[in-house]
Amino acid sequence: MKNKKLVIMVIICLALIVAVLPLFSACGTKAQPGQVLKVGIITPTTGAAAEKGAPMGDANLDAIEYINTELGGVDGYKIEAVWRDSNYDAAKVATIVKNLMDEGCLLFTTSSSKEMQAAMEIANRAEFPGLVCFNAPSLHRPPQHVYGQTPDYGDDWIAFTNLYLKNIWKGSGKPKMALLLLSNPTGYGARDAARAYADKLGIEILWDGQVGKAFEHAATTTSETEALTRIKAMNPDVLYISSTPAPTAVIIKNASELGMYPKITIGCGHASFTKKLIDIAGVDIVDGVYGAFPTVMWGENVPGMAKMTEYLQKKHPKDADNMDYITAWAQSLVVAEILKNAIKNAGYDVLAKGNVDSWRAVETKGIQKLKGYDVGGLQGAVSYTPGDNRLTKFNRIYQIVNGKISNPSAWTEASLVKYEEFDWFGK
Amino acid sequence: MAELLQFIITGISVGMVYALIALGFALIWKSSSVANLALGQIVLVSSWFTYSMLVQAKLPVYIAFPLVILFALFLGWVIERFALRPLIAQPILSLITVTLGIGYFIEGVITFIWPWSVDALPRLFPKEVVHIGPAVISQEYLWVIGICLIVFILLTLFFRYHRMGIAMRATADDQMAVQACGIPVTRVFSTSWMFACVVAAIGGILISSIGGITNGLVETGLKAFSVVILGGLDSFVGAIIAGPIIGLCESLGGGYLTQFLWSGVRDIIPFIIIIIVMVIKPYGLFGEKRIERI
Amino acid sequence: MSLPCGIRNYNYAEDMAIIRTKTHWALLIAFLIIIFTMPLYFSNYWLGVFNLIGITLIAAIGLNILVGYCGQLSIGHAGFIAVGAYTAAILTNRLEMPFLVGLIGAGLVSGFIGIIFGLPSVRVKGFYLAITTIAAQFIIVWVINHWSLTGGFNGIKVPYASIGDLVFRSESSQFYLIITIAALCVFFAKNLTRTKVGRAFIAIRDNDLAAEVMGISLLYYKLLAFFIGCFFAGIAGALLAHWIGFLNAEQFSFTESILYIGMIIIGGLGTTIGPIFGVVFIRILQQVLTVNLVPFLENTFTMLPAGFATGVTPMLFGLVIVLFLILEPRGIAHRWGLFKSAYRLWPFSY
Repeated sequence: MKNKKLVIMVIICLALIVAVLPLFSACGTKAQPGQVLKVGIITPTTGAAAEKGAPMGDANLDAIEYINTELGGVDGYKIEAVWRDSNYDAAKVATIVKNLMDEGCLLFTTSSSKEMQAAMEIANRAEFPGLVCFNAPSLHRPPQHVYGQTPDYGDDWIAFTNLYLKNIWKGSGKPKMALLLLSNPTGYGARDAARAYADKLGIEILWDGQVGKAFEHAATTTSETEALTRIKAMNPDVLYISSTPAPTAVIIKNASELGMYPKITIGCGHASFTKKLIDIAGVDIVDGVYGAFPTVMWGENVPGMAKMTEYLQKKHPKDADNMDYITAWAQSLVVAEILKNAIKNAGYDVLAKGNVDSWRAVETKGIQKLKGYDVGGLQGAVSYTPGDNRLTKFNRIYQIVNGKISNPSAWTEASLVKYEEFDWFGK
Repeated sequence: MAELLQFIITGISVGMVYALIALGFALIWKSSSVANLALGQIVLVSSWFTYSMLVQAKLPVYIAFPLVILFALFLGWVIERFALRPLIAQPILSLITVTLGIGYFIEGVITFIWPWSVDALPRLFPKEVVHIGPAVISQEYLWVIGICLIVFILLTLFFRYHRMGIAMRATADDQMAVQACGIPVTRVFSTSWMFACVVAAIGGILISSIGGITNGLVETGLKAFSVVILGGLDSFVGAIIAGPIIGLCESLGGGYLTQFLWSGVRDIIPFIIIIIVMVIKPYGLFGEKRIERI
Repeated sequence: MSLPCGIRNYNYAEDMAIIRTKTHWALLIAFLIIIFTMPLYFSNYWLGVFNLIGITLIAAIGLNILVGYCGQLSIGHAGFIAVGAYTAAILTNRLEMPFLVGLIGAGLVSGFIGIIFGLPSVRVKGFYLAITTIAAQFIIVWVINHWSLTGGFNGIKVPYASIGDLVFRSESSQFYLIITIAALCVFFAKNLTRTKVGRAFIAIRDNDLAAEVMGISLLYYKLLAFFIGCFFAGIAGALLAHWIGFLNAEQFSFTESILYIGMIIIGGLGTTIGPIFGVVFIRILQQVLTVNLVPFLENTFTMLPAGFATGVTPMLFGLVIVLFLILEPRGIAHRWGLFKSAYRLWPFSY
């Protein structure tokens, strides 16, 4: 190439400019003296769980903007959100959490159990508190520095099974349930609950070959006909899917192709039960599917609904009717309350240090002092009880009717299940 | 027994999906001895472009599909012209790595333009399934099988009778002799890449109407390598035959072995087949054995 | 290599020496002093980055020996690193063995697995071997995900590295550990070219049929190359396990393998200093992108859908790999060599 040297020079110059530019801005923000409270927010906005992560990232940041502009921040201090996209990748989360700790964040939030599991060890070692809104039993048993904003996937399963046995099951004897689960904490939460509680509740689980082995699938699956064929041969009465929306859509589609649905009942965990499920699968296919979800649905008459709807329509109208938005908005409200408690009980100076003392303060004086905060009625009231890192224990079962998530059941309280007492837990 | 039939039918249909992707790979290998490891990403980007045309731009099907074909032609031309032509005589590590780099680049572009990563095409085929005995097969798979066979027949005829096809075979055999005969080798490469991208685009439309548009298409592309290895890198017949074989092995293996072993056995079977084939018969069932001299 | 004028070799030892002139010795010692005093003036965050660079360097040197010196295409290196990491994790976590046992065990197990997956290299080469190593990577990751001993999909915790009573808890202590091991590995790799084994590797790379005709046993040397390459990968994996503290199979994806190949090609294939350049370049680029550029883009272009900037990282990496292959296929090491010669021959350097 004749002008090879010129091309190389131009490329190097462009690369240097691109690389150096943000360093200037980074220097700039660090020099600001402002009195802010830094919070790290990790969402899987791109990647295999993007259908949940994107609206949740939007809601987290919208709520923080609402708190900063209309409520004047937390006791006058503005919240500075350090938002990172995890791409639903465990390796990235590990580096992001280390980076958040270095930046002086006071706590961090994640939007999925898989992200929190990747971050858990690093955070627990450094005593950096974390809040997760889609959590699994394995994340806080034994309880350390990771707290769950909502009940976990095991609680979903227990709530759905209770409802099924009480309202839907019309036969005699024990109904047969098959579990088709995602191969990560989202699915394993349901599996652990089923293994611990199936006999006590009175339901028979169709395991795959050996007890404790559920039917599993990957997050990027395109066809589950093969697993469903085997499940169909076992004659189940109900199928429980604990996964993310895209694979759940595939499974329900395959199940209706095989003729299994709507003959049997299908229940979902709260990770997959959102509007995206309806969009991806098609309205006619998912009609009648049940699912658990820990928040209210859109349009219910609770104090926090009005402001949230206003911000949704102003900033992200594409996320309308998506209940993940509610969950993440509630998460930011809970974070604000935690910081309010921490400032009241420990003082801003401790928090301004941004090191392990601040983290301890946030945890012991902030999170562990939560008592009955109602989060605008958007979810169950948030309180800390010692020995149980789930901050709220209330769940609800919904059903998809005519393309909308509706038909809510009563709020059920999920009692604490001591999974660690079982010897098969955590292996 | 009903399960067995269902497994067999699912296996053959999934295998034909792999075979369609493998045809694209064999096309490039047959004409330029370049291994296109970016095939999965090209399939994915074509699916996303189809989505753009159908959903974001709301164009009707009969306008959108020709646009997708044009896009695939353009993509193939761009890749060949800017990334592969400068590397014509380089050692094979460079060629493999450059396709890996292109694949990585395309993945980034996909996340850049469509960050929400998971979506579905509007329904292109009717929902009702076709019953074959007690087993069912959805219509999309039938379309896949049909189109795959049509593409295979077209490609074989093209390579045997059309002037450009014969030129491609000649280039794969001996590049310098072809240049001495006055055939423009660069045009041969361009054409083969453009056709391969078109095949990948067709495959992409079909596959994403089955399972939605997710990053799983890249893994499907990687599994298609096992079809290519088993069938022979430069053989279309091999791709068509090895595709259903691998699909059957996956389906039957997954169906019957998962109870006794671990769940997820289905995903690893294509890769184990690669290793076995490498050890026993490296050039595949229908591939040509390379004879090397010092 | 090219030496300054006026230097003559009077015996074989001088001819084969790595460091020939006094200036070279002085520069090397100064460089080592700077490296070993880095923890004194760099922050914890940068020490973490350097730790990652050190770990990656060890693995990249192994890959360079396998691909650059011996010519065996291996695109599954992340899988072998995973084997080493999980071996160390299992040995220190489940079997409660000391750190050094875990380290050496990780290297040996990884080398052994490398030999198993390297067996096809005796029959096939080029692209076929590359596909085999890709399959090896996926099989290894699958086994990790489905085996209860490795924690399955949940992952496994790894305790801190410790030698006797000394626990490597802080970034700077781990820095010393990693840099020492990395320096030893670089020294080993550099010396390898001077030995019979190294020369056999290079002969196999250039033309393996001719090498066999000359009496070099292909089976022994190819498998040895796989063993050495994967031994280094195993050691790197063990250090990685102790540094992160939590292992999950996703940290060893196919994309990582592509990055490793990219690192050694960008750095310069078949040289010793090549991997150092490649690793530093790619890792620093990764840090600048993830920590500075991506949030900056996200914050400035808020009208675009969220998360679009995550795509910038793979785009740039792919572009960098492709551009380097087209414009400078011999890598940064070649440019460095040209720079050194230009400096030496100035003002006649052209």
